[in-house]
Amino acid sequence: MELANIETLLEAYFEGNTTLNEEATLRKYFTGNEVAPHLAVYQPLFVGLERAGEEVSKQEVVLPQASFQLNKWWYGIAAMLVVGATVGSFMFSQPQLTQEEKEAVAAFEKAKETMLLLSENLNKGTSSIAHLNEFSKGTSTISHIDQFTNSKNKILK
Amino acid sequence: MKQKEFLTTVLPFKDKLYRLAKRLLVSSEEAEDAVQEVFLKLWNGKQKIKNYKNPEAFAITMTKNYCLDRLKSKQAGNLKIVHSNYQNSENIEKAVEANDGVSLVFKIMETLPEQQRMILQLRDVEQFEFDEIAEMLESNETAVRVALSRARKTVREQLIKQYNYGVS
Repeated sequence: MELANIETLLEAYFEGNTTLNEEATLRKYFTGNEVAPHLAVYQPLFVGLERAGEEVSKQEVVLPQASFQLNKWWYGIAAMLVVGATVGSFMFSQPQLTQEEKEAVAAFEKAKETMLLLSENLNKGTSSIAHLNEFSKGTSTISHIDQFTNSKNKILK
Repeated sequence: MKQKEFLTTVLPFKDKLYRLAKRLLVSSEEAEDAVQEVFLKLWNGKQKIKNYKNPEAFAITMTKNYCLDRLKSKQAGNLKIVHSNYQNSENIEKAVEANDGVSLVFKIMETLPEQQRMILQLRDVEQFEFDEIAEMLESNETAVRVALSRARKTVREQLIKQYNYGVS
């Protein structure tokens, strides 16, 4: 790189009129070993800027582990599901019957009632039949007549 | 956005954020804190980072704002940062006595106004284009060029001054 060119670039550099490429040229020249003595004063500037770019952060970045926002969302969704399931199960526990089925159920209820009535009356019948036992008691008393017959026979002999 | 995905997006420019923060806050510990803070903010707003076409520029803007806030709150709290007392030229000359040319450049940079310091950093160290710098600093290209020229000239003046002092 010829010296005149470097001097021109340097002038433009201080005016803020150089491109990144031209600045790279300057940096290359001034960080090299062959800097013209009258330009040596600028050498620390370019070396310093180069050096400044070599500093690195030594600390690890620490971020909070789980992402809380996502968790909050899931809590919300879970709560919704629970509420939904509760309401849903309540709704569906009520039997949903068509008109026809309702009639059938009503008929069944009526038939059941009738049968109940019938069986009740039937029970009444059986309880009255229980009086027959009394009758058989009667017959057993009549069997004492045999005794009577025995004694009568003795007398008649 | 998963944490891994997030880190692969933001880690490539971690050192750039660190260097910018260090240029502004000077202390490397504070610069590390700034980077951590900016990454936390980016992580918390990770849904948003996708909306920016240039996450790097966005992160640099955040770092700049964070550091300027830090500097402001320090001054407001009368806790002048140790290094801000190079503001006047008398102190520059004292600091400069450590005559290693490179550390001299760093010392001179610390004396620049914050805006110029950031522009010098983003242009001459990180080599961003003017339009990118303008976007990062929420400024315009002309203002960036002017401030950059001033910053470079200030550094030159101080260097020459020191050089002549060393020679004579």
